[in-house]
Amino acid sequence: MRKLTDLVKNKKQKKFKTDSYSDMKLRGDGEAISPQVNEVLQDIKTTTGNSSDIVIRQFKVGKDGSIDIGIAYTDGLADKNFVQDFIIDPLKTDVRMSELHSEVMESVDLYTIIKDFDMVGGEMTEFTEMKKLYFNLLSGNTVVLIGGYSKGIAVGSRGFESRGVQEPSSQTVVRGPKDGFSEILRTNTSLIRRRIKNTDLWIETMQVGEKTQTDVAIAYIKGVANDKVVDEVRKRIKRIKVDYILESGNIEELIQDETFTPFPTIHNSERPDAACAALLEGRVVILVEGTPFVLIAPAIFIQFLQASEDYYQRADISTMIRILRFFSLFLALLTPSAYIAVTTFHQEMLPTQLLISLAAQREGVPFPAVVEALMMEVTFEILREAGVRMPRAIGSAISIVGALVLGQAAVEAGIVSASMVIVVSLTAISSFVVPAFNLSISIRILRFCFMILAATFGLFGIIFGLIIMVAHMANLRSFGVPYLTPMAPFIIQDQKDVFLRFPLWGMFARPRLISQKNTDREDTPSPKPNNGK
Amino acid sequence: MKKAFLLLLSFFLIIGLSGCWSAKELTDLAITTALGIDKTEEGYRLTVQVINPGEIATQTQSTRVAMSTYTTEGKTMFEAFRRLTTVSPRKVYLAHLRIVLFGEEMAREGISKPLDVLSRDHEIRTDFALGIAKGMKAEDQLKILTPLEKVSANKIFSSIEDSEANWAPTKMVKLDELISSLVSDGKEPVMTGIEAIGSPEVGNSLSNVEKVKSPAMIKINRLGVFKGDKLIEWINEEESKGFNYITDNIKSTVGFVQCDEGGTVSIEILKNKTRVEGRVKEDVPKINISINIEGNIADVECPIDLSETKTIDQVEKKLSEKTNDIVIASVEKAQELKTDIFGFGEVIARQYPKEWEKLKGNWPEIFANIEVKTDTTVKIRRVGTITDSFQKEAKKDAKEE
Repeated sequence: MRKLTDLVKNKKQKKFKTDSYSDMKLRGDGEAISPQVNEVLQDIKTTTGNSSDIVIRQFKVGKDGSIDIGIAYTDGLADKNFVQDFIIDPLKTDVRMSELHSEVMESVDLYTIIKDFDMVGGEMTEFTEMKKLYFNLLSGNTVVLIGGYSKGIAVGSRGFESRGVQEPSSQTVVRGPKDGFSEILRTNTSLIRRRIKNTDLWIETMQVGEKTQTDVAIAYIKGVANDKVVDEVRKRIKRIKVDYILESGNIEELIQDETFTPFPTIHNSERPDAACAALLEGRVVILVEGTPFVLIAPAIFIQFLQASEDYYQRADISTMIRILRFFSLFLALLTPSAYIAVTTFHQEMLPTQLLISLAAQREGVPFPAVVEALMMEVTFEILREAGVRMPRAIGSAISIVGALVLGQAAVEAGIVSASMVIVVSLTAISSFVVPAFNLSISIRILRFCFMILAATFGLFGIIFGLIIMVAHMANLRSFGVPYLTPMAPFIIQDQKDVFLRFPLWGMFARPRLISQKNTDREDTPSPKPNNGK
Repeated sequence: MKKAFLLLLSFFLIIGLSGCWSAKELTDLAITTALGIDKTEEGYRLTVQVINPGEIATQTQSTRVAMSTYTTEGKTMFEAFRRLTTVSPRKVYLAHLRIVLFGEEMAREGISKPLDVLSRDHEIRTDFALGIAKGMKAEDQLKILTPLEKVSANKIFSSIEDSEANWAPTKMVKLDELISSLVSDGKEPVMTGIEAIGSPEVGNSLSNVEKVKSPAMIKINRLGVFKGDKLIEWINEEESKGFNYITDNIKSTVGFVQCDEGGTVSIEILKNKTRVEGRVKEDVPKINISINIEGNIADVECPIDLSETKTIDQVEKKLSEKTNDIVIASVEKAQELKTDIFGFGEVIARQYPKEWEKLKGNWPEIFANIEVKTDTTVKIRRVGTITDSFQKEAKKDAKEE
């Protein structure tokens, strides 16, 4: 594998030989800030190619107008009113009007006065490099430069248009919080912080993507999360060297343990409550600017079958629904292959009446069962993909045409049997029960493998495939945690949240391999009346 | 990397190369529900009854029948099976076999030889019922169309099943049981007789099921008694019932007793437990049969007072006597035929293995003279939703007038 990627890399490098690598980074690396304000502003102009959204303003302050001030901010990213009221106004009026006595000037310099006495913004950083200047400028901060000093002040003035907090479109619940993450990293961290008011919730931010400099935040609860996992996550993210990060999927692909597996080893969610629950179990949450999907690591297989609503409904109901979910996972994976195997290899396994009615339906169908099944499954996949990808306005057209292709019309045309339509429909609805979309995609891929195995070897092939699949899953790790925990290795304490969902007072410990320290949750007595005594 | 890729590629190629080994599409199978075996001079005449799935599951009416039979002859069973491909459009598929019928002629000459292929072939499950076409060829019986059930094999199978469970004089004999009684020294096989009533020659055509009362019908009759692998005699209904009492094969049945005043009382027998014990004293074996019956009063057709326990006791006593009579009649019939269909020999062999060694050589003779004692206990549990029959009142009124 290494060789292959090396090969691709080499080719790419040859292609862009004229492009120097430093070009991929932000300009101004290592460049110091000139004390001449107009020089710096000119530099900004040339570097950004006179981009129309970069607003540059130069003016003079002080009683005699002797101090050069330069201001730069990005239109649309910075809040214009804020810049006017809290940066330009104080500078233009206060600094100009105030008498800067020589004795004052002697003890503190002009820079400190402006920085410490004049700027009223809450968030403020100092910088001495052009690289920092550009970073602040392009993040929405306002850059303030003072003539004669080779450093500048960046005032936090971010205020840009964004989609508000809305109900998540995936992972919906009937009962549970209806807010979802949005594209703004700060909003997302606030949604988490609002739920966990604890000093132990630590959020580290770093920039990833040589061109995009995307903000990526790692959130974890210090003391609950396994430090080694946190270190590993940090290390893997720091290692990333790519042009761009546009979605958390990019990060996921670059930090996951295993690329060549159909199974996802990092969980993602659009729900703040799911992210918080993961944090409280000791997992690490990775938030990425520009996407409502946060990553949750380490992820184990069971997690992809747990929905947040499981914990909001009563335990007995949740347990039943969860068992139903496992059942439908198997249905989604194996229904077409079992149908193929039984009808082409093991007719003796069917009750006579059922065999007769299946045989009657297959009379006149021109294809073998495999071809029929593959045809219908592929049609369904096409239909599903079309449903996701097409413009909303023509949605009804797809459902009408789809019902014809997959329904009664196909049966009446004598191309497929009625039972095959039922098999495909059952598979389809079962695959929608899996709460995690990325697992349901893997199931789709595996379903086709199982169909081919069933067509060549019958039930023997299906069992063979299942053995290989389970062996492969047992071999997977997510940040050092075995993928099949707590089934393999079997951990009896963690069975409280696998097939069954214990009442909350029974969930006395955090998952053992996830949070290796501090696994005891607060002792909650069972809510029986005499327990209070 | 290259190696892994090649490995993966060869894996997929291997799957492709093997093809669909032993795959059979549903449309390539002739699902066989019944098998008829008759004797010819050379060997066997084999009849298979295959279903026509399109006609069974169809919603629309058609003039085609839901089953067809194909017949071939062969020196051996297997040869006849394979020769079927010349007359049948599809390969005969035997896993869903419900019934195997022997023609009476065949049964009288011995049935053990054709049984080998039935138990040896991997495709055939052993859950089908075996029977004898009473007084006719199996081939002709399998041709009879039945109303209600479109496939006559299903009708025969479920008739045996239902009558065994609710009526008692019939018995479902399956392959493993038949073979084990064939090889056992202390037990002889029995098999249900299946009879065509009415005019069998009409049964072959659709007109048979076009009438409210079909001209030809299939009836599950009494048991055929074997000696070795040869059918020797048909025993009557009462004796068949006795047989089932002794072999503890009664699930539910009907028993009736005569009242002193004339008329009858019927008892629905709900539960029965029979215990057969043997005893050998100085090389003379004896058999003790104890029967425990539990039942409800089902039908009172005489003026008795059911509110008194005495009456109930009386009914119980009468029924136990009657059951004893049935059982003894059945035993006497078997003794007359010198064939141990009840498995008394097995009972002795289990309890007295040493003595059995001496007895088994001459068992048919010893069986014919064996002393059998029966002891029946009857327990009546409920009398139904009314206590006294209104007939009692009616009779009183008649007397007063």
